[in-house]
Amino acid sequence: MAHILLRHRDIPDINKLEVYRKNGGFEAFKQVVTSMKPEAVTEVVKASGLRGRGGAGFPTGLKWAFMDNKNWPHYVVANADESEPGTFKDREIMENNPFQFLEGVAISAYAVGAHAAYVYLRGEFWQVAAFLDERIEDMEKAGLLGGKLFGTDYELKIYTHLGAGAYICGEETALLESMEGKRGQPRLRPPFPPSFGLYGKPTVVNNVETFTNIPMIFSKGADWYKALGTADSAGVKVFSLSGRVKKPGNYELPFGTTFRQLVYEHGGGIINDRPVKAIMAAGASSSIIKVDDKALDTPMDYASVRTLGADLGSASVIVIDDTVSIEWVISKTVEFFKHESCGKCTPCREGNYWMMHVIERMEAGEDVEANTELLLSVAKQMQNKCLCALGEFATMAVVSGIERFPDDFTTSSIGGGHA
Amino acid sequence: MPKQLVSLIIDGQSVSVPAGTLIVDAAKQVGIDIPVFCYHPKMEPVGMCRMCLVEVGRPVIDRVSGQPVIEGGKPKIQFGAKLETACTTPVSEDMQVVGMSEKARTGRKEIVEFLLTSHPLDCPVCDKGGECPLQNLTMAHGSSESRFKFDDKQHQKKHVPLGDLIWLDRERCIQCARCIRFQGEIVGDAVLDFFRRGRATDIVTYSEPGFDSIFSSNTTDICPVGALTTADFRFGARPWEMNSAASICTHCPVGCNTTLNIRREARSDGNMVIKRIMPRQNEQVNEIWLCDKGRFAHHFSASPDRLAKPLVRTGELVTESSWEEALNLAARSLVEAKQDFIVLAGGRLANEDLFNLKALADGLGGKAALYTHMGGGYLTTLAGVSMDTNFGEMGAGTSILVAASDLYNEAPLWYLRIKQAAARGATLILAGARETKLEKYAAHVIRYAYGDEAQTIKSMQKSKAGQAAAEALASAQNLVVLYGSDGLGLEGSASLAEACAGLLDMTGHAGKPGSGLIGVWPHANDQGAWEMGFQPVADLAAEFKNKLVYIAACDPVGDDPALAEALKSARFVIVQELFQTETTRLANVVLPAQAFTEREGSFTSGERRVQRFYPALPAFGETRPDFSITASLAQKAGLELEGTSALLIMNKIASKYKSFEGLSYARLAEVREQWPLVGRGDIYYGGAIYANTQGLGTRLALLEAGSLPGTKPVESKRPSESELLAIPVCKIYDRGVTVLPSTLLHPHIGDASVSLHPDTAVRFKVQAGSTAQLTVNGTAYQVKVLVDEKVPASVALLPRSMGIPINTPATISLKAA
Amino acid sequence: MRVFEPLIELARGLGTTFKIMLEKPVTVQYPEQKKPVKPRFRGRHVLKRYDNGLEKCIGCALCAAACPADAIFVESAENTDDVRFSPGDRYASTYEINMLRCIFCGFCEDACPTEAVVLGDNYELSFTNRRDAIYPKEMLIEPAPAGTLPTPQKVPPGLYTRSVPEMKDPQD
Repeated sequence: MAHILLRHRDIPDINKLEVYRKNGGFEAFKQVVTSMKPEAVTEVVKASGLRGRGGAGFPTGLKWAFMDNKNWPHYVVANADESEPGTFKDREIMENNPFQFLEGVAISAYAVGAHAAYVYLRGEFWQVAAFLDERIEDMEKAGLLGGKLFGTDYELKIYTHLGAGAYICGEETALLESMEGKRGQPRLRPPFPPSFGLYGKPTVVNNVETFTNIPMIFSKGADWYKALGTADSAGVKVFSLSGRVKKPGNYELPFGTTFRQLVYEHGGGIINDRPVKAIMAAGASSSIIKVDDKALDTPMDYASVRTLGADLGSASVIVIDDTVSIEWVISKTVEFFKHESCGKCTPCREGNYWMMHVIERMEAGEDVEANTELLLSVAKQMQNKCLCALGEFATMAVVSGIERFPDDFTTSSIGGGHA
Repeated sequence: MPKQLVSLIIDGQSVSVPAGTLIVDAAKQVGIDIPVFCYHPKMEPVGMCRMCLVEVGRPVIDRVSGQPVIEGGKPKIQFGAKLETACTTPVSEDMQVVGMSEKARTGRKEIVEFLLTSHPLDCPVCDKGGECPLQNLTMAHGSSESRFKFDDKQHQKKHVPLGDLIWLDRERCIQCARCIRFQGEIVGDAVLDFFRRGRATDIVTYSEPGFDSIFSSNTTDICPVGALTTADFRFGARPWEMNSAASICTHCPVGCNTTLNIRREARSDGNMVIKRIMPRQNEQVNEIWLCDKGRFAHHFSASPDRLAKPLVRTGELVTESSWEEALNLAARSLVEAKQDFIVLAGGRLANEDLFNLKALADGLGGKAALYTHMGGGYLTTLAGVSMDTNFGEMGAGTSILVAASDLYNEAPLWYLRIKQAAARGATLILAGARETKLEKYAAHVIRYAYGDEAQTIKSMQKSKAGQAAAEALASAQNLVVLYGSDGLGLEGSASLAEACAGLLDMTGHAGKPGSGLIGVWPHANDQGAWEMGFQPVADLAAEFKNKLVYIAACDPVGDDPALAEALKSARFVIVQELFQTETTRLANVVLPAQAFTEREGSFTSGERRVQRFYPALPAFGETRPDFSITASLAQKAGLELEGTSALLIMNKIASKYKSFEGLSYARLAEVREQWPLVGRGDIYYGGAIYANTQGLGTRLALLEAGSLPGTKPVESKRPSESELLAIPVCKIYDRGVTVLPSTLLHPHIGDASVSLHPDTAVRFKVQAGSTAQLTVNGTAYQVKVLVDEKVPASVALLPRSMGIPINTPATISLKAA
Repeated sequence: MRVFEPLIELARGLGTTFKIMLEKPVTVQYPEQKKPVKPRFRGRHVLKRYDNGLEKCIGCALCAAACPADAIFVESAENTDDVRFSPGDRYASTYEINMLRCIFCGFCEDACPTEAVVLGDNYELSFTNRRDAIYPKEMLIEPAPAGTLPTPQKVPPGLYTRSVPEMKDPQD
């Protein structure tokens, strides 16, 4: 099947404007601006069943429909702060298929009546930002951005904005704070961005991959898109496969593909053909799935993964084989979250710091059993108390790891590390 | 417009509160404590500390009908799976909040444990220990054992001066951001912020010099831990060891309510001393805040330089004497002078002192005058503000005009409250010759040249900028006009007052409740003096000649050395003072007075609020209260005045002056419940601020205005090409006798300085930062030159009370030293 | 027989006398002789020092707060590394106990977070006027251990940052 999102894999040089246009690029945007009312655009997206690809899976069309029409101007922000360990899909899209992404942003901006759209990139993506700036310039030169688009009164500008490199800025309200020049810390919610977003104005924040889906929905129709994937999770998804597989990388597959297909058919199986021990389906913020045949045959869509006690999230599938100690895995995730905690709310700020120390003591061989119990207790103590979801994410691997893999937390197994 | 009421149940108690109220506030209103660290009732909620976790149940809404589901006659309530933060959740109809359940209590206990993991637990050496929300809430909600290993604690600097007044202990900080938010939201001096993230989050200051705000010390009151402490009180005493007395701040006309904390101190030879000054809540006056000057400039009362015994001069020889001898001598001279005497009173005196001084002058046929450089006060007694005016409640519909006043320096709390009134929607109009700090919040700014103050107000419509402002004034429901003496002397300010009163009259606001004229006086009780009929005199030198001069609580010679000759020409000089001053050095009799910290009395604030202060310290040496000294003197001169009890004098004031009618000490001591609740039990909620149990004071009644008297227009001084006009301005930290003994403030006081526009500096060939020679009235002074683009051209801004005599605009000469 | 009765009584009495004469005396010749006190005896207070000579007292005044007789007065000041009395920021610049007020209850010991104030063995308290009953810090503090300098000491910077040491459960 031809790629829908990773079209550069089928069409060389699609990151050049003329190539993209030759392949139907910006036809959707033109059609939308010249022939559709903004509300109708949102309706199409609703009908397509598209859900946010950033991790939460919120229906995209519904989010657009929530925009407060009594408060103007409106903004569109693309969340390109791709910071989740194990996620590397947005970068590939932006580097190789930038116009499809930007066209999606443009259609979205038209749908909500925004005249300015921003691409917020993590600080480390400065090269991607420079590249996108050039592509935006290409579009401006070609009359695809700016005033009087396609002869209508609609005008749109797209800007890139670089963050300073913080995981928390992938949280949409922290992202908005950061864009406003403040500390990247999450806001209280509600109000949500569609009513109180950038500079207090209604704002759509969507993931890069979400936007990239949009042009195809318009060129091929909502029904076509809805037919892909499963009933609950429409369309295709870019799965970032990493860990102990032979062929890690991005794989664009319809929702509903099973873990087994991803790992064995696409990922080429496990290094040294060892058995799969565990899978983290949503990067470092996942619950760790204990893998058996049933788990391997579970289709990857939002609802089915939940039956395994985990979330699909941004579909960054990290595969762990039996050479890796789960204790080592959670020491890495906790270290990550301790480093990335923004410090705004108490449980996340103090809890991660504490968990790190407990793990250090544990790894030094200090009363492993009691420290494991303490670690689990601290993680549970953080749950349901944090200001934003990232504080909760920090506990996922810890709680699931200890509860599902108790054997990795014994005196003899500590320090097993990884192969 | 009254907000719709919402009914809900919190821990079994029914509550009805306006829609939009947060759960934590609703609970507080019925006496239920929901613990908080980051939430503060004066600031927007942030939900950072997560301490206020409660279970929240809401009625189940039927999806089809949109109506609440009824079960057994009651709406069916569904509780969320998660605990919610009470400080960020507004109430809703039929909500049920449970704060006492096992789940909620466990949640809080766990948050306390988290907070303590990074806390050094050094309560024994912490200045906050004993009045610390973290300590209290740990006792109430925390666990008695720690699962966190002490060795894992992060060690950080414990002694970081944010500025020279406030110190930060990085270990104790719990990152609640109350200080940051106070500076940003309430003061508008956003000089603090967080630095770094996660567990490494620190409070830092971005200003130069550090923590550059005159409200900095309030952050120590609202800090829920001992992270921020004042340099003044560092290790001064434990909170429980100190006694407290209610008082009123005397540094400006706002009249902030304070509590003096006192303790016997070995360092001070075993005397009782003031250890610190804390704000005392009065939502009508200072809310729960206090400026740094009010908090730190208290050391004068314990200064060893105070006068302890009466002094008597024989020829050139000045000797200490007994009260009897000094009073006899003074009284004899007073009798001999017959009606040829003048009483000159300073605005630092209490109402009771002023009453006796006036009674003495009236009774013996002399003249009573107020010593001030600012006129027009009688207009505030006729068109001043009355009962219904409260900056804290002003918002849309109210216009506030500030003319010729730099409130940030002259009356800090008014600056703070007017800034917030503007944020709530009041229209703020500033008329000034130079840019002041409040301008950022003004809807209209009217700029004039120094000398045009009164004219500008009178003919506001004529200028383009003024027109919009004039419309805002005329259409306002309530109009409050504040006028000051920035660049004005006695005549100029009187003229401005008249223009302002005229404006109130013209727009139909004079005598209206909620509107009125406020003088930004140089002293705490100038208003009281005006209310009792004191008037300033234009030519002091002429008044002194051949008369007996009885001076109380002012230093005319210190302010203007030219008056020394005039005072020498007086037939006899009696001075009542705290310290030796230039004036006391020329006196025949010096009578040592008690500071306001040692006696009872009352002040009348610029907003015409009469407020009581109480004795906190024993009398210094042999000093006596001013009213008592005057009464003794009067008695020896054959006039009976009340001199034993301030309370009885207040009764007399009430019966004599119409505006004071009905006032008594009992009425001044009345209190009502104020919102938000602050004080001991609620320390975590509002801060360590004292609750007001000793009196909120009472507003004076408005006199019937009738027609407002006019003054003759004054010729304004204009500089010629070659001259330089010195403009007297106010600097918050000056060299006044009540400020200078606080050595802590010396870096803020600095040297005498003059501010010039860069062009003016070039014209007079002086450089920024250099020392120049400034000559005023024939005397040369060394001053530091400051260059500032905001200063108008051809004028030199010269702060008052900085060692250079300047009360009215005067021509000076300036050259490089 | 009646004649002997007094003699028997006399003999019995003398017997007791002689018996006691041979026993070890229970009285001691105070003040030449002094009896050792019990381990938990509560005598005059001593302010303790660490082995390096620094004072344990940090001037927190919790003893004064705990004192039911209001006998203790503490005033504190700030340490620097150049002029250091005790570890941490704070030390007692004034420490006085009024021995006329003190009831030797030992609450001050319990309250002390650094085990600085200890009720010692000394019970020989006498004074001839009320002022002398106030024992200042100089009288209460124990001498610096041999080989250490008296306070204040000049110490290397950054070495003594912690006011309250890690405490173990109290032992006799």
